[in-house]
Amino acid sequence: MKLRMKVSLITAVTLLAGSLVSGAAVIYRSSLYTREKTMESGRQQTEAAAYAVGKELEYELMAYFTDSTLASYYDYVLQKYGDSRYILIEGEEVVCNRTGYEVKDPADMRWASRSVIQRSGDRYLLLVGRKVPVSGSREYKLLWIQDITSVYEDVYRQSLFCFGICAGVSFLAALLVYAAVGRVLSPMRELQRAAQDISGGDLARRAGVRSRDEIGMLARSFNEMAERIEGQVAALSQESERRRQMLGSLAHEMKTPMTSIMGYADSLLHVNLREEQRVRALSHIHEECGRLGRLGSKLMSLLGMYDNDSIQMEEVALQEVFDRVARAEEAHLREKGVTLRQSCEMGVRRMDRDLFESLLINLIDNGIKASREGGVIELSASGEQITIQDHGCGIPEQEIARVTEAFYMVDKARSRREGGSGLGLALCERIAQLHEAKLRIESVVGEGTTVTIVFYKTFTS
Amino acid sequence: MRILVIEDDVVISELICMNLEAAGYEPLPVFDGIGAQQGIRDGMFDDAALALVDVMLPGKDGFALMEDLQAAQIPVIYLTAKDDVLSKVHGLKSGAEDYIVKPFEILELLVRMEKVLKRTGRGRERIRVRDVVIDLKEHSVTKAGERVSLKPMEYELLVTLAEHKNVALSREELLSRLWGTDYVGETRTVDVHIGQLRKKLDFHDVIRTVSKTGYRLEDLG
Repeated sequence: MKLRMKVSLITAVTLLAGSLVSGAAVIYRSSLYTREKTMESGRQQTEAAAYAVGKELEYELMAYFTDSTLASYYDYVLQKYGDSRYILIEGEEVVCNRTGYEVKDPADMRWASRSVIQRSGDRYLLLVGRKVPVSGSREYKLLWIQDITSVYEDVYRQSLFCFGICAGVSFLAALLVYAAVGRVLSPMRELQRAAQDISGGDLARRAGVRSRDEIGMLARSFNEMAERIEGQVAALSQESERRRQMLGSLAHEMKTPMTSIMGYADSLLHVNLREEQRVRALSHIHEECGRLGRLGSKLMSLLGMYDNDSIQMEEVALQEVFDRVARAEEAHLREKGVTLRQSCEMGVRRMDRDLFESLLINLIDNGIKASREGGVIELSASGEQITIQDHGCGIPEQEIARVTEAFYMVDKARSRREGGSGLGLALCERIAQLHEAKLRIESVVGEGTTVTIVFYKTFTS
Repeated sequence: MRILVIEDDVVISELICMNLEAAGYEPLPVFDGIGAQQGIRDGMFDDAALALVDVMLPGKDGFALMEDLQAAQIPVIYLTAKDDVLSKVHGLKSGAEDYIVKPFEILELLVRMEKVLKRTGRGRERIRVRDVVIDLKEHSVTKAGERVSLKPMEYELLVTLAEHKNVALSREELLSRLWGTDYVGETRTVDVHIGQLRKKLDFHDVIRTVSKTGYRLEDLG
């Protein structure tokens, strides 16, 4: 059963029961009162009639009346004072009865001062008895009988009316509650539809509930939840899209060396080449295999870094790292005729020594590749940043944002010649992230590139 | 015959050029899109019979070069690592004659090039192998100026070998190309015809037997 149905039923039943009980109480009280009133007026009437009849019955000539005359006289007196509602009892005998009823026990002395309601068939009778105050030897009692069925019928009609009113009011109230609850609950239905839509995949759906009550609060919480879910789903699909693209680029990147290797091997097998061409083909195969190998190992480290367990953070003096990097790059620098200048104004820092060194080596390698012979690369650390600056060919402005993407190369042909795979900066970015730092790349074509590792959280001891 | 090779990867460019040269073409390597476009517009490649174009090029991609290549009436074969159907459809719809996905085999490249050249009416009219000249129009072969009479299948075999000179062709390849697929397995037929050619043209050291592969007409002239 729906909530609004339940609430309106409960309302109707409660209201009906309550109003019936109170109605019954009121009717009961008022019926008691009416009966009391009726009896009181009956008593007063009978009292007055008894007095008047008493006066008449003191008529001195009565002693001379014959029985039939006496009966006529009684009849006359009763008719004079009370029409057909009285029974006159003398001693133990009914001497005159103008009512349609019969007294079973006229001798009963209770009739001298009694008022009672009797039931006769489906009629209610009020009986009031009074002793007639008369001097003389005779004793008279006057009995007043009135049919008060109408009083009871009134009570019955009132009860019926009251019940009708109660039922009608309850029904109306139930209808009103039904409508009101429907109105109050309509945001709930909207909320339910929204939840259904969201689970059906429409993640941008929000519950359009603006009320300020508890349901409104619920809707707001619901919308906040939906917002978060949408955000997280978007982030997830973005991440998976990023990985998909990276895998796609990887497949493409593998294709190029594979094409060369297969092509040269095919040529060596089937084509009649001159001796120097053969040597070149073989050396190309050798080089391209090397490139594939490097690509593989770089990719491994790029993927391996998604798993933070293998990273060992320790306190390392940066100067020490600089020295090791300089030693590692010595041969490469000499070969290209490039000079590395370093200055370190940073003390101890928490880092993974190997990763951080490979970050610096990568960046310096890039600098060397960009530099002309006789160029200078400056490696310096101060404040919260480490800077690697070269004075080489620079990166075109529109390419800067993309250089940290995996497999992205600004100058593909030249980068290949230098043995690049396009993974270097993506890897650097990742290592920087692991050290709570980010890469800032500024470059002017023809003037050189400055890569800055900016730490945004301090780990100094 | 000059072939324009627009490929940014120097290693692959060299691979293609090396093989084109061996097969008797004259390759013209260009390494980037903008340079290629400039060259085409300047009419530097007007005598190119065909262009092999990489799709992913720095500067301007291969599809963007199509208009200029068509204007210069150079037929195009795309050479690319992109092997999705959409790229192929896009490439062929844009007016390319063919679409070859990397990695490719040398023989496949040469066969497709030759098909395109013939279809576009740029097929070679004459192939020279040392002192032998094959006139493809006249269907005649002369050695040192003197006419050599060859049976039809011998002539076809010689043309096939000469069109792919310096590239080894397997017996099966030759058989299916010249005699049709019904002959598969009858590789002796090829050997017999090769023997005839060697004898008639004195090509004993020109048509070489390549072990495990087949035959190769060698001429690095």
